[in-house]
Amino acid sequence: MNYNNYTIVITGLGGQGLIKLLQILGDSLVRKGYKVMTSEKHGLSQRGGMVTCFLRFGDMIAAPIPIIGSAEMIITTEKSCILNVLQYANPNKSTKFIITEYKKAILDSKYPSDKDISDILKNYSNHLYFLSSENFPKNQKTTNLFVLGYILKFLPIEKNDIELILKDYFSGEFQAINQEALINGIKYQR
Amino acid sequence: MEYVDLIRSRASEEHFLLGNLAIVRGALESGIDVYTYYPGTPSSEVGEAFTKLYREVGMRWVENSINEKVAVEVAGAAYARGAKVMVGMKNAGLNVAADPLFALATTRPKNENSACVILVADDPQQYSSAIEMDSRYYLKLFKIPALEPSNPQECLEYTKYAFEISRKLKIPVMLRLVTMVSHARSNVKFGDLMHSEIKDDFDLSPEVNVASRLYFLNLKEEQIYTRMNQALNLSENSPLNKIMSENSLNEYGLGIIASGVSFSYVLEALEHLQIKAPILKLGFIHPLPERKIAEFIKSFKNVFVVEENDAYLETQILAIAQKNELQTKIYGKDPFSYSRENSLLSFVGELNPTKIAQALEKITDLPNKIIANQIKDDKYNTVKRKPVLCPGCPYGVIGYALRESLKKLSAKKPENVYFYQDIGCYTLLSFPPYSFANVKYCMGSSIALAQGVAHTDDSLNIAIIGDGTFFHSGIPALLNGVYNKAPILILILDNGWIGMTGQQPHPGSDTKYYKEGRYKNKIDLEKFLEGTGAKLNIIKRQDHNTKNYPKRLKDLIYEKSLNVLENGELHVILIEDECIQKFNENNILKIRYVDEKLCTNCGICYDQFSCSALYEQDNKACINRNECLGCGICEDLCPNNAILRGEENEL
Repeated sequence: MNYNNYTIVITGLGGQGLIKLLQILGDSLVRKGYKVMTSEKHGLSQRGGMVTCFLRFGDMIAAPIPIIGSAEMIITTEKSCILNVLQYANPNKSTKFIITEYKKAILDSKYPSDKDISDILKNYSNHLYFLSSENFPKNQKTTNLFVLGYILKFLPIEKNDIELILKDYFSGEFQAINQEALINGIKYQR
Repeated sequence: MEYVDLIRSRASEEHFLLGNLAIVRGALESGIDVYTYYPGTPSSEVGEAFTKLYREVGMRWVENSINEKVAVEVAGAAYARGAKVMVGMKNAGLNVAADPLFALATTRPKNENSACVILVADDPQQYSSAIEMDSRYYLKLFKIPALEPSNPQECLEYTKYAFEISRKLKIPVMLRLVTMVSHARSNVKFGDLMHSEIKDDFDLSPEVNVASRLYFLNLKEEQIYTRMNQALNLSENSPLNKIMSENSLNEYGLGIIASGVSFSYVLEALEHLQIKAPILKLGFIHPLPERKIAEFIKSFKNVFVVEENDAYLETQILAIAQKNELQTKIYGKDPFSYSRENSLLSFVGELNPTKIAQALEKITDLPNKIIANQIKDDKYNTVKRKPVLCPGCPYGVIGYALRESLKKLSAKKPENVYFYQDIGCYTLLSFPPYSFANVKYCMGSSIALAQGVAHTDDSLNIAIIGDGTFFHSGIPALLNGVYNKAPILILILDNGWIGMTGQQPHPGSDTKYYKEGRYKNKIDLEKFLEGTGAKLNIIKRQDHNTKNYPKRLKDLIYEKSLNVLENGELHVILIEDECIQKFNENNILKIRYVDEKLCTNCGICYDQFSCSALYEQDNKACINRNECLGCGICEDLCPNNAILRGEENEL
C-alpha cells in the first residue's frame, strides 16, 4: 500500500467523538513520522448535527480538503450520514466504506431502508464493511475508539501506537473504557 | 496536546497542532504581553488557550472582553504604552471593532517594544456565522499590512513575522485566517519561546497617540507615505511572497497566483489534473508587491488568480497589469462584470480543490475529468438533518412555551406576531418546528429590530436575545427602547454562558464555576435590568426538578404579551436556566425513559416539544438513552406521567 497520499473521510453526528478520533489517529500518524492534515465541517448544531471531517496523510498532501473522487476510505458513525459524502468515493469503486449500523431518526423525514442504503453504496464501492450495532460498546461515547480499532488493519499504525497516546486524550476510568473499545474494535470480525 | 504543552514544549519539537494553537505558540515565541478577544468561531481556541496559560507564562494581561470594540481599545492602549499585543475576533467581530481600529491604525507608538497584531478569522461558507464576509477589503480602509497563512505551520511562522513587522514599523498588522486554516490540524515544528521585553518606563506622547484634528492628518500622511511605503518594500522583498515551481512550465502559457488556503487547493488540483504550473504564492497580502506581481505576470500568456470569496487580489492584479501595460489574459472572477457566467470561481461560498480543478479544465480546454466522478444516484444523497438544539437545552422548552402562549393569545387578540432573532444557540429556534424569526441581522440587533416595526405597526413584536449577546451589544438597544417607550416584548434567555462557542464566561457568568472567575466580578443582570426602568419579570427554573416550569413560563409570556398589546409599554422577561452542557459539569442528572404501558403516543414530547433525544418508535414515544442528558422537561410535559427517571447519565 502506498501511503504518499491517503485520504479518509469521516462523517457522523456531533457528540459522537469524531474530532477526538481525528486527533488520536492524526497524532499517532505524526508520531510515526507522517505528514498529516485534518479538517472539520460542522453545521449549526452543537450536538446531533452532521459533521464531516477529513484526515489526509503522506508526503504529497497539501490541502485540508481532498478533491472529490479521491478518498481511500470513508467512515460513517451514523448509517445514513454516508449518503452525503459519496462524491469523495473513487469512481473505480476502490474506496473502502466503513459503515456503523447505528441509526439516529431524522426529524420530519423517513429513514432510508437498509436495502436502499446497501443498493446505493454498491454503486460506489466494492469494499463495504458493516459494523453491526450489537457489538458496539455499551457506552456509546466510545464508538469512535471502536471504529478506530477496526480500521487499524488498513493503516500503517499498530495498536501500541494508539495505546501510547491514549493517556494524553483520556484520564482515569475513561482511559480504560476507551482502551477496551479500541481492543474490541481490533478484534471485531463480521 | 494539552494547552500547557504549548509552553512546555521545546524548540524543534514537532506536534500535531490546530492552526489556532499554532498561532498561540507563534505569539509566545514573539514575547506577547497582552491578548484580548471576544470568542467567535473559528477563532475561539486562541483565547481559551491564552486564558489557561498566561499566568504561568508571565504575560501581562489576557481578557475575554465584553465585545470586539472594547477588546481593540484595551489592547490598543497597551500597545501605545509599549506592550506586544494581539486582539482576536471572527469576521463579523471586525465590523464591531472597526471604529477604534481606524484610529489605532494611524497612531504610532514611540516605545521600542510596541507591536500589535489583529487576528481575524473569516468563515467562508458561513459554517458558524450569520454572514459570509471577506475581511481583506478592510485592509484598504485601515491601510495596514496583512499576512495570510495557508496551514498550521505557517500560522506559527506568520504570527512571528506579524509581530516583527508591527514592532519595526509601528503599525498594526492583520493576521487573516479562514476556517480551513484555523481549524486545520497538521505537523507544526516549534521554535524558541521568547520572554516579554516590555519596559517599565514608557512614552505616551499625545501627538502620536491622540486621534483628533490636532494631530490626525499629519499621522495619516506619515502612515500612508512612510509606514505603508516601508511595508511595501518589505512585501516586495518578503520570502512570504514567492514563486513556487518556477521552472515547471506548461503548454498553456499558464501561471497561477494564489494566497492562503487557496494555494494549497491549487496544489491538489494541479496534481490531480497532472498539470504543472509556476505559482506566485502571496503570504504578505497587503500591501501587494506590485513589482513582483508585474514581473511574474509578464512571463505568461495566461494568469489564473485563485482566491476565496471577494476578488480582492484580482482587482489589484488587473490594475497592476494595466499600469504595467501587460497583455497577459487574467482569469478569475471577472469582478467588474457581476456575471455568473464570466466567473470561473464564485464570489460566494467556500473554495475547494474540486472547484479549482474544474476551472483549470475550462482554461486549458482539458476534457472534464472531474465531472465524471460526480454523484450517480441522487435519490438519497440529500439526507439532510435540520440543525437541532442539544438534548436538554433550556431553549427548547422556551420555544415550546412561547408557541403555546401565542396560541392562547391569538384566540384573544388576533394581531400579527413578529420575531426578531439574535446570534446564539437560540438562533436555532428560527428553524422548524418553531420558526421564530422574521428579521435578524447581527450581534445585539434583535431589540432594536423589534422597535423598528413596533413604532410603525400594531403587531406584537418579540425580541429574543441571549445573555452573552445582550452584554456584547444588546444593552444600548434596550436603553434606546426604554427611552423611546417602544411597545415590545424582550425575552432575555439567560443560560449563564456564551453557549454557542463553547461555554465561555461573560460578565454575568457565575464566577464560582470558571477558573479565571476568582479574578473577576459578576455583573448582576437582574439589578442591571431593574436599573434601566424597564418593566421586568424574572423566571427561574431554579433546579432541574421544579415541576410546572413549562406552564409557569407559558403563562408569563402570555400575560406579558397581552400587556404589551394593551398598555403599549416595553416589557422584559429574564428567563434564567443554565446551559445544559455547563449544568452537567456540576450536577448529576438522571436520564429519563418511557413507560410503554402508560404512553398513549400523544406526541406532545417528541412532536410538539422538540428534543433531539425523543422520537417515535412502534407507536410509542422513545428516549435515546445515549443522548438524554436528564433535564426532565419531557417528564413535566407528559400528561400521562409515562416518563420516568432512570439511571444517572454517564458523561
